[in-house]
Amino acid sequence: MTSEIRQFLFESLTVMKYSTADMDDDTVLGPAGADLESLALAELSLRVEDHFGVRFEEDEAEMFAAMTVGEFCAEVARRVQTASAT
Amino acid sequence: MSRGVAVTGIGLVSPVGTVVEEVFDAVCAGRSALVRPPEGHALHGVVDVAAIGPAIDPESVIPPKDARVVDRSIVMAVRAAEDALADAAIEVGRDVDPYRVAIVLSGVGGLETLARQAVERSTRGRLGISPFMLPGVLPNMAAARVAIKFGVRGYTSSSGTACAAGGQSIGEAVRILRSGEADVVVCGCTEAPLFPTFADAFGNALALARGWADPTAASRPFDRRRNGFVLGEGAGVLVLERAEFARARGATVHAQVLGWGATSDGYHPTTPRPDGSSAAESMRLALRDAGLSTADIGYLNAHGTGTKAGDAAETMAIRGVYGDDMPPVSSTKGVTGHMLGASGVVEASIAIMALRKGVLPPTHNLDDPDPACDLDHVRGEPRTTDVAAVMSNSFGFGGHNVSVILGRAGG
Repeated sequence: MTSEIRQFLFESLTVMKYSTADMDDDTVLGPAGADLESLALAELSLRVEDHFGVRFEEDEAEMFAAMTVGEFCAEVARRVQTASAT
Repeated sequence: MSRGVAVTGIGLVSPVGTVVEEVFDAVCAGRSALVRPPEGHALHGVVDVAAIGPAIDPESVIPPKDARVVDRSIVMAVRAAEDALADAAIEVGRDVDPYRVAIVLSGVGGLETLARQAVERSTRGRLGISPFMLPGVLPNMAAARVAIKFGVRGYTSSSGTACAAGGQSIGEAVRILRSGEADVVVCGCTEAPLFPTFADAFGNALALARGWADPTAASRPFDRRRNGFVLGEGAGVLVLERAEFARARGATVHAQVLGWGATSDGYHPTTPRPDGSSAAESMRLALRDAGLSTADIGYLNAHGTGTKAGDAAETMAIRGVYGDDMPPVSSTKGVTGHMLGASGVVEASIAIMALRKGVLPPTHNLDDPDPACDLDHVRGEPRTTDVAAVMSNSFGFGGHNVSVILGRAGG
């Protein structure tokens, strides 16, 4: 599941004109790494919500800035599993 | 502080070109931009005729991450501003304090982006709405993008006076410069209305020209057979400077803005006041502001969109102001179509070229002047004559009237 999420994440970032060539699981999503600004993080969370059927709260997108790619994918995977279990 | 205002930069994106000389040649030669929207264009099958601007790759003017989410109106504005600043040979920060540069850049905003998002919302719900929608839609974003790109830090605003907004932006720039609040103002207007929702709004209001087998015949200001305007897109940006500032930095001056005036009809949301009295007053205010008399105006670039009511009301207004001192008049929308608010800036630029060259462009398609539009029309061929001052009119839905007077650089 996590690899599927990572693939979707990279495809989304490519559509959003972010280079994923140098990204890996340790890359931070926000300014310290991939440099996604607030609206880009909000778009990314919407894309994930739409594709995987999970829901983020409004203030969570800001927290993604400090997450690495690996942490983000794990968090999405956890929510997908929680959603499918309920 | 003197009242002198110099035009030092011109940047245009229009259906007849992106260089002011090219645009002027087109309106003088009658090289029409009016076409039936081709297959693949958003207006194909929606309207009979439109004036389509040049394709611009958004990434050529805005960083790729942002270019993906900006409206075409913003792309055209940034391109025009870039060209105007290059024409003025002015670099913000190097040649002028960023806080001494203002921007007045107008237009209705990114309505196509809004229309597309409205469809997404109705089909996909909340998830269909992009977080980037607001920077794509808000009418101040053209000014904001120009400020961001060129590092402008001074006063910034955007006028919402429909088709008068371009002229009004020039007028507001003059006011700012005369007050001493800025040394340089980047002013203009941008409009990207060529999408079905907006086009149908004008069409259903019976404002658009219709039923012309030859699309180039559809825009015919002041002609007896005119039946509406042709919707167009474009952007126009001028760099205006305090005359002393321009002189001190050795700038090349294209023309001076001598005066301007603005009034409201206070009459009807879309129909102009039939006697043209408020439009006449805006012309009188401009003359007074410039310290000129009617006999000083050597050419008038009319708003002249090609609607029955609008052209007749403007004629009443012009006749009321000028009487026996009638200047030669033309509307260049017969060639360019109507770029809404952007028309005011493109036409002021055409008027500047008329000043510089001593050539007055004709009204294209004015084959049979309407007796209700009895003016000294320039038609058929351009008229060669020496002019020292010219007036450009812009009128907008809502009854907004703006007149701008330009004079020769050394006058």
